[in-house]
Formats: sequence, C-alpha cells, structure tokens
Amino acid sequence: MRSPDVTTVRRTPLRPLLAKEVAGLLNGRALWTMLLILCPLVGYSFFQAVALYGEASAAARDQPQLATSLSPLDGILVPTFGAFYVTATLLFPFVAIRALGHEKETGSLKLLVQLPYQIPTLIAAKLTAISFAWLIAVTPVVSALPLWLSFGGHIDPLETSNLLLGHLLYGLLIGTIALFAAAISDNSATAAIVTLAFTIGSWVLDFALAGQPGALGWISRLSLTQALHTFEQGVLSAALLLGTCTAIVGFATLAAIWLHPGTSLHKKLARTIVCVGLAGLLLATTTQLRTSSDLSEDKRNSFPAADQRTLARLNEPLIVTVHLAPEDPRYVDLQRNVLSKLERVVPNLTIRLVTAGQSVIRSAGEVSYGEIEYSYGGHSAKSRSTSHREALPLLYGLAGVAVPTPQAGEDYPGYPLVADGWIALPWFLVALPLLIAVAWWWWNRHAPRIPAQFVKNGGQL
Amino acid sequence: MIADRRSPPLTQDGAAQLQVAGITKWYGKQRALADVSFDIRRGEILGLIGPNGSGKTTLLETVAGLLPINAGSVLWQRSSLPQHRRCEVVFYLPDGVRPWDGQHVIRVLQFFASTFGRRAAELDEVARSVGLQQVFGKRVCALSKGYTRRLMLALALLTPHPVLLMDEPFDGFDIRQTREMMALMRRVAAHGRTLALAIHQLADAERVCDRFILLADGRVCGIGSLDDLRARISQPTARLEDVFLALT
Repeated sequence: MRSPDVTTVRRTPLRPLLAKEVAGLLNGRALWTMLLILCPLVGYSFFQAVALYGEASAAARDQPQLATSLSPLDGILVPTFGAFYVTATLLFPFVAIRALGHEKETGSLKLLVQLPYQIPTLIAAKLTAISFAWLIAVTPVVSALPLWLSFGGHIDPLETSNLLLGHLLYGLLIGTIALFAAAISDNSATAAIVTLAFTIGSWVLDFALAGQPGALGWISRLSLTQALHTFEQGVLSAALLLGTCTAIVGFATLAAIWLHPGTSLHKKLARTIVCVGLAGLLLATTTQLRTSSDLSEDKRNSFPAADQRTLARLNEPLIVTVHLAPEDPRYVDLQRNVLSKLERVVPNLTIRLVTAGQSVIRSAGEVSYGEIEYSYGGHSAKSRSTSHREALPLLYGLAGVAVPTPQAGEDYPGYPLVADGWIALPWFLVALPLLIAVAWWWWNRHAPRIPAQFVKNGGQL
Repeated sequence: MIADRRSPPLTQDGAAQLQVAGITKWYGKQRALADVSFDIRRGEILGLIGPNGSGKTTLLETVAGLLPINAGSVLWQRSSLPQHRRCEVVFYLPDGVRPWDGQHVIRVLQFFASTFGRRAAELDEVARSVGLQQVFGKRVCALSKGYTRRLMLALALLTPHPVLLMDEPFDGFDIRQTREMMALMRRVAAHGRTLALAIHQLADAERVCDRFILLADGRVCGIGSLDDLRARISQPTARLEDVFLALT
C-alpha cells in the first residue's frame, strides 16, 4: 500500500504539544481561582495548627515527657496539607477537566486528534500539564514550610517528602479521573459531576462502609482518601504506591480509549472491559505486597529501636492466628499496634484471620474469640492483648531470646515550639494572593513575542 | 504555496486518489448517510452540495475518521485506508470551531508549524497568503468570524496532507474575501493538493469547484462537473441551483 510515511509521525516533537497543554491550563480561570481560594484556607489551617501546637508545647514545658508526643508531622504538616486536600478534592477536578473538556466544547479536539500524535501521547501530555498545574497549586501550602522553619520549627525531610508524594499521587489520581470523566462526557459540567461522584463518593465510602465486614469492608478500602491516610502516618507502602499508580495509569488508559470520536462505541466498551479487568488484576496483585517503610521521624509505625533490631533477627516462620472479626475495634488496635509493625520488621511472617468474613455478633459466642495465637519455632503462645507490650515478651519467650533493653538517646525527643501564628496571616491573606493576582494579570496581558522575520516581511505589527 | 515535504506519493492528475465506497451512517434509528460512494482526484476541488441536514458534515467527518461508520470503506490509491490512518492522508477543517480560543493567534500557528516541522518562512508565507499578520498578537477568542476562518485555513495549509476536507470554508467572509479565498484555494489545488468543500451557497460552489456531489437526505443524487450534471437534466445553460433542484 502506498500509504503515508508513518516514520515522520513518530518524530513529531512533543515540546509544542506540552507548551500548548500548559498554556491551555494557565489561560483558564480555574487554576488561578483555585490558587486564590487556597491561600486563606491554607493560611487559616496553618495559623490554627501553629496555635494548637503552641498550646500543647506550653504544657510540655511543665511536663517534659509530653514533649516526645509533639511531632510537627501531626501538629503542623497534616493539618496544613488538610486544607490542600479539601481543595484538591473539590476544586482540582475543575482544573484538570479543562485540559480536555474545553477542547471538546470548542471543537478543537477534532483538530487535535488529527495531528500526528498517538492518542496515548495526547493523554500523557495532558497528564503532564495537570501535574504542572498541581505543582503550581501546591505552592501556597509548600510556602508554609519555610514559614514554620522561620518560627524555629523543625521539619523532617523524609516524612515531609513522603507526605508530599502522597498528595502528588492523590492529585494525579483526581486528575486522571477528571480526564476520564471529560473523555466520556459531552461537556465540562457533566465531567465535573462524574468526577465529584468519585471524590465525594469516596467520602461516603469512608463514612458508611469503613469497618464493615466482608465485601463492604473491601469496597471501603477503595476510597481515595484512605490512600492519603497512610502517607499522613509516615508510611510508604509498596502496595499502596503501586496500587495508586495502577489506578492512575488505568484511568489515563480509559481516557485514551474514550478520547477519539471516530472509535465506535462497541470498540470503546470492549477495550474498557479489558482495561478494567487488567487494572483489577494488577490491583489485586499489588494488595498482596507487604513491603512498607516507616518514614516517620518518631517511628510511630515501628516498635522501639531495640525491639526492631531483635525482631529483625527472627528468621524462622512466625505465624499469628487472630480470632477477631475485622470490624472489631480490638482487631483495629491489634493491627495498628502489633501486626502492621511486625509485617515491616519480621522477615517471615504469616497472619491468619480466622473469623474473616464473619461479623462480631456471629463470632463473639465462640470461646476462642478474642485470642491471638503466636507460633514460632514449634512453640506457641496465646494472648488477648492488643498491645505490643504484652505481645513482644511472648514472642521473645517463644524465640528464646532476651527481652532487649532500650538504649539511651534512641527515643524521639519531640519538637515543642510556642510560636505566634499571626505572623503568617499577612502572607497568606494579603501578600500571596496579591502575587497570584499579579501573575494572573501578567499572564493574561502579555502578548507573545512576534518573530522578527514576520514583521520584516510586511507584517503590520 | 509551500511544498508538501511530508506528503505521501501522489497519483497522476485525473486518477482517483481517494475513494469512498458505500459509506452508511446511522444515528440511532435515523439514517444520515446511505451507501455514499464517490472518488476524489488529485488537484481538484470537489464540492459537496446539499441543503442543511443532507449529511455533508457527517460525510466529511466519516471520511476523516472522526465519526464511526456502520458500513463502507475509504481507499487511498486503491488500498484500504483504515479509520485510524485517515489522519495521515486527510485533514479535516470543521465548521464553527475557534481553535484553542484562549491562545494567541501566533501561538496556535506556531503550534501547528512546529508539529509539522514547518520553518518560520513557511509559516510567514501561509500567514501572508490568508492575511493573518494583522492579528498575530490577538487571542483567538477575540477574532472576528472572518479572521477565525482565515486562521483555520492557515492551519490547514500548514499541514502536509494531500487531501483537505473543509466544512463551509466561506462562511463568515464577505464577497471580496470569498473571492480572495477562492483564488487561494485554486492556487493550493494547482500545487497538487486536493480539496473537498462542503458548501451550501450554490453560487460560491459554482465559482470554485471542479466537480460536485449533490447530497439530499444522505443519498448521492448526482456526481460530476457542472457540464456533466447539465447534460443529465438536458439543460446546457442551467445554473448549479437549477441542476440541484432538478436532481434532488
């Protein structure tokens, strides 16, 4: 077939496409409006966080042992980023939808899909522009970090980076859902409704289904907000990281499937089924991963350092059999205080949940209900405690090792600080909005530089 | 007119370059196109003539691969051209589009020029040929309907595709501008590019097109030059309007 030379298509430069996509987002009002709304929200959250942290720190002056519980991650970063989370959930979809929805509404999409770019390339370019928009949107909240440091506060780079990574993944997930919604919708309003159905639906899942047994409990774990909570606790989980990336790629692929107006509906549906199936398989696989790291500075997700070192040397299989229903608060405690920490440190661990799928009411009558059995090296021991203070000595007894003694200087010192948060308010309420407004005005007013040869060749510019 | 550096090999003058075979399109229970077949020859200007709702836009979009079809095929130089490869041969300019309306005109032109590897001199030539230089620094949303049309035409001229499909290309132009654009299209066709224009103004179509496809209710009622169509109704001096009324 004497068809066009497709090799030229593959060499099409990406830079003009990326520049167009970024300019498209900056030309809209959504991003700038979101930034302006973010400033007071972040500012007030930061001010409140500093005030509350200061009150707790003042109490720690009289009782020094209270200082060890004062972590800037919990006290300052998570509340300040909380304002960004709300904005990312409710407003960022409108920014992301514009990347595609506006082109659909104006008809420009019909021109775009005829350009020599593959459809996945178009979606990747839009996702890159959305990531760039997220980077701009996060500026107000990131500006709180140097402010906190200027107050004399402490920030741990590792846990802060982990928190930022969580918000980035959350933002990209919202962005790809918005792209998919824009791809399947005729207009931006419908796309916004579809996206908000996902994001606000996640909140509903959190409220209504969390802690439910069986399938309902599994569905509740699909909530977008659940993903962020792990990062807020300073945990970097391989399952969560890969699962979120799978969801991002999955929604981006769905957007690519639905983008081209020339593809027939039955082809789109068939490809969607394949994509959802593959993404489901990948998600199911990633949830089996147990690798995770505790990146919090206070190591709240780990046992004390001396215990960590001893447990890491338990090389034989450790089997923990739990006779608790998943929705039982004791199981939640056990999971948080013991099981999740053991998973991160013991090399060969198996956890069996005997009553999985049963409710508390059905299981509570059993004599063994509430027991936690630890088996190691051919020995086993039972306990009903959900605290590591009782579980670990049991384990050491089974393994025949001495209970480790903590070493001086290993405890988290805590970072109490009494600061005046009022100083931050002029920045968030006046200076930063003013800077954003000026940047918006400049972007809208400035005309592009016209290349000289166009003027020389008779242009009347 | 700028050279088509990336264009596919062209056929000899007069030979069918693009063939449309039996295209049928349904919107739900409504049939928009019924077994439409025709061919487009290299360097000609083909007019798709028909009243509103006759299927002109649908036909152009199906040929461009922007609408799925229920039956039929498109052939490029007698070989099948699947839907996903149409954009390598055909470029379609839709009607009523303000391309990337938040951007400046020069940016939109540069985007197309960069995408298709056009040099600045080529962009300049195209912009001058359609008279866009006065509005380089304006945003697309601030352009008049006529200038938007010029911009769309400039974008089409920046592409290397051998076949250009245009939906109502003269809509928004006054008489003088229409004649200027017709002369430009003639020069484009003379350089070997093929144009298919959907036009509802029969007088405009009569002036610029070499051959015509008369569409009514999604069916082809006549194909040929004006003389061919006159011969069919046995009225050697009939205007296109009379021919259209007689055949549809």
